Amino acid sequence: MAVELLKDCIKDFHKGYVELRYHQRRSFNVSVKDGKIDTLNNGAVEGVCARVLIDGSWGFASTTVLGKEKIRKMLDNATSLAEASKPVKKRPASLAFIKPCIDKYETPMKRDPRKADKEELVSLVLDVDKTVRDYSKTIVSDTVTFNVVDDNIAFVNSEGSEIRQRIVRCFGNVTVIAREKGNITSAYEGIGEQSGLEILEKTPLMNAGLIAAERASKLVSAKMAPAGYFPVILENRIVGLLAHEAVGHCAEADLVFGGSFLANKIGEKVASEKVTLVDDGRFPNGFGTMMYDDEGVPTQKTVIIEKGVCKSFLHSRETAQHFGVNPTGNARAWTFEFDPIIRMRNTYIEVGDHTLEELAEDIKEGFFLKGGLSGQADFNGEFMFGTQEAIRIKNGKLAEALRGITISGNSFEVLKNVDAIGKDFVMRVGLCGKEQVNYVGMGGASLRTKVLMGGAK
Amino acid sequence: MNFLDFANLAVKTCQKLGADEAEAFVQNEQIVEVVLERAEIQNERFKTHSGIGIRVIKDKKLGFAFASKLSKENVEKACKAAVSLAKVSLPNPEWVSLPVKERLPQTPEGIFDPEIANISGDKMLNFVIRAYNEAKGYDKRVEIDDGKFSAVLNEIAILNSRGVEAQGKTTRIEGYLVCVAKEHGEASSMAYEYDVSTMLNDFFPEKIGRTAAEKALLSLYTKKVEPFTGMVILDSDPAASILLNPVISSVNADNVQRGRSLWSGKIGEKVAAAKLTILDDGLMAKGIGSQSFDFEGAPRQKTPTITRGKLVGFIHNSYTANKEGKKSTGNAYRGSYTTPPTIAASNFVVKAGKKKLEELIAEVEKGIIVRRFSGNVRLESGEFSGIAKQASYIENGEIKYALKETMISGNAFQALNDIVEIGCEIRPTGIRAYTPPILVDNIQIISKQ
Repeated sequence: MAVELLKDCIKDFHKGYVELRYHQRRSFNVSVKDGKIDTLNNGAVEGVCARVLIDGSWGFASTTVLGKEKIRKMLDNATSLAEASKPVKKRPASLAFIKPCIDKYETPMKRDPRKADKEELVSLVLDVDKTVRDYSKTIVSDTVTFNVVDDNIAFVNSEGSEIRQRIVRCFGNVTVIAREKGNITSAYEGIGEQSGLEILEKTPLMNAGLIAAERASKLVSAKMAPAGYFPVILENRIVGLLAHEAVGHCAEADLVFGGSFLANKIGEKVASEKVTLVDDGRFPNGFGTMMYDDEGVPTQKTVIIEKGVCKSFLHSRETAQHFGVNPTGNARAWTFEFDPIIRMRNTYIEVGDHTLEELAEDIKEGFFLKGGLSGQADFNGEFMFGTQEAIRIKNGKLAEALRGITISGNSFEVLKNVDAIGKDFVMRVGLCGKEQVNYVGMGGASLRTKVLMGGAK
Repeated sequence: MNFLDFANLAVKTCQKLGADEAEAFVQNEQIVEVVLERAEIQNERFKTHSGIGIRVIKDKKLGFAFASKLSKENVEKACKAAVSLAKVSLPNPEWVSLPVKERLPQTPEGIFDPEIANISGDKMLNFVIRAYNEAKGYDKRVEIDDGKFSAVLNEIAILNSRGVEAQGKTTRIEGYLVCVAKEHGEASSMAYEYDVSTMLNDFFPEKIGRTAAEKALLSLYTKKVEPFTGMVILDSDPAASILLNPVISSVNADNVQRGRSLWSGKIGEKVAAAKLTILDDGLMAKGIGSQSFDFEGAPRQKTPTITRGKLVGFIHNSYTANKEGKKSTGNAYRGSYTTPPTIAASNFVVKAGKKKLEELIAEVEKGIIVRRFSGNVRLESGEFSGIAKQASYIENGEIKYALKETMISGNAFQALNDIVEIGCEIRPTGIRAYTPPILVDNIQIISKQ
């Protein structure tokens, strides 16, 4: 949709601040289950939303019916909502200043998925499915998916910003079920980044399939890892979950406002000096990368913890104004149906210099935890996330593989206990749910710390 | 053009383009919602989801496409996309047909409330303020972190080339609040309270506010307990996520047929304690998942899944039912028009026991009560582990103190057999399971020693 039309719709608006955001999301999905094509799905959703700020009160409305008249009407709706909720507002909102931007961004791509040969993608997914099912006799079922999400976003506001962004994300997942002698287990692995179809050469879906197949067949007869407080190595693929759940959420200024464990901690030591933790809006190919957030603020690399010291929170324009700092470009919306809220982008712990052997050698009895599952953070600093596999470490050596468990801990303690970080940095993808979901990147290198493992007796 | 006109246009267009079978699912969902953030009313939103999902079959090959804008041009474009995808697909030898026309049961009572359908932003705002004030006024130590209240009108129409034609409206109003309690530098964990109803008169925002506040206070001044194996009372929400999630997954016929369910081939066998009876009730009055037809237009019904501890039935959509030459149980589900149907529970209802929560607590010699579970549940194997939130330690039938940094773990399928008692206070949960609190034995209670 033309930025011109959006500009035209707000040119007569003089009641306060207004922004319009057009969002078209085209998606393509191939899903193969047990050798059969389950879904081949292609479609588009599009719409426009308006957000207005009048005398400290927000109003928001969205529509899927496009056209000047409809957009104007939606703008009126948003205006009347802002005016209606004004009397119940206890804390009027105001926005930190940003310089209006006129700019364009497009995901750098070598193979634009719009020109993709769909048959080729289908046969690639079928290939992975076949290899996975042939991996071992214990594998009874699998699901392999590949998805392309192609977002076109146009943003204008009453301060003169005009921003167009096209953000393309490709991602795929493999889920495997293995059964043997009355035992059953599942394993899961995925790929994904912001890029064109060249991702399939960089990180082949087949590799994810093989990791999942190997894990499921290995763990089908394994026992659950034990319960207790142990030294652990978190594998590079799940360290991002630690960055995201143990720290990232509590650095979101809306949670800080509520009194999260990082509140009032700027300038204080909150982690071991080995830990530098960043939320980067421009990480190359990051799943959460965008040049501008959904308030038109240029994104940046925001250092939350530098060598153990808390440095910054993640802000929208509104919270930046409240806290008296510059906006960090963290206001993001899932689609045009949502107003932007504070979200992470690509959150990671900076790389260290240890090899995996070095990380293990000081552990007398502990575990090497691999494969992520879902996680959650509590604002008091207690967090958890699931792992798929726990390899026992005995006297510095890797021993048998056990089924993974959920781990938990208090962010402070777990971060203070990080005493060594590896050099195997990876950036992964995530889907984070906080009132509305959003795509995020999570990264890091394998590291050593202590956690509570929720396992068996 | 109305809903059915668009659906008709889509089916006819697909047939013209050479499809053997075609189905159109048209949806118009209207949502009024109020969002609370940072202890303040942040926003009101009016949202409309409308669009069409088109499923076509050509030589047993499936294609699917969707469009969010309902116009003649867009619908025709989506039809072309669906048919062209079907052409590059592979035949599924197990495909039989889309659902055929059948007589639908009477529309269940209490699934549509015009008062919700036509609710104003002001009225929604008032609900939120009532919940907010109740939580705030309940105790000075309680603070509200965030929340969301939504009123939803969902109108759908389904039409296919086998003569299925179904159309209906449902409503629901739902809300949640997250509260924390603070005193003398102590902060509780996040306490979450949710409720949902199809009728405005059955929705009580004050109750959400009060319960969220109560729960927050229940996790102030926590203490650790030594690890032990013992009894756990799972409140409705954790009971649904820990025990019922794996049950729903295991009675899903698609999982059964694909070897993903430990219960394949076990109809008639004992899978749980005799106290447990679960009915998938697609026709329940005022049920969140109730309607006379499912999301592909097949009749909804009542399907017993576990009766007195015995596995008695699986839930099907037309695809899994056709594979076995059976009738669909009316459990086709879609989250929205953008995806083809899968299988899900309609209203997954646990038969209530006789005892109140206090009576369950009185039965526990040494154990804990868990009001929120923050963890992972492996649906196939039933393994679960995670943090017991707003949990309290129980000894000799009495709640002694709130628990700090405590995890629980176990296996849901084992726990189903270790059910000691089922409570009587049934309530809906986020996964459309209606369940009372459940008391189970032999759960690992874990803490840092």
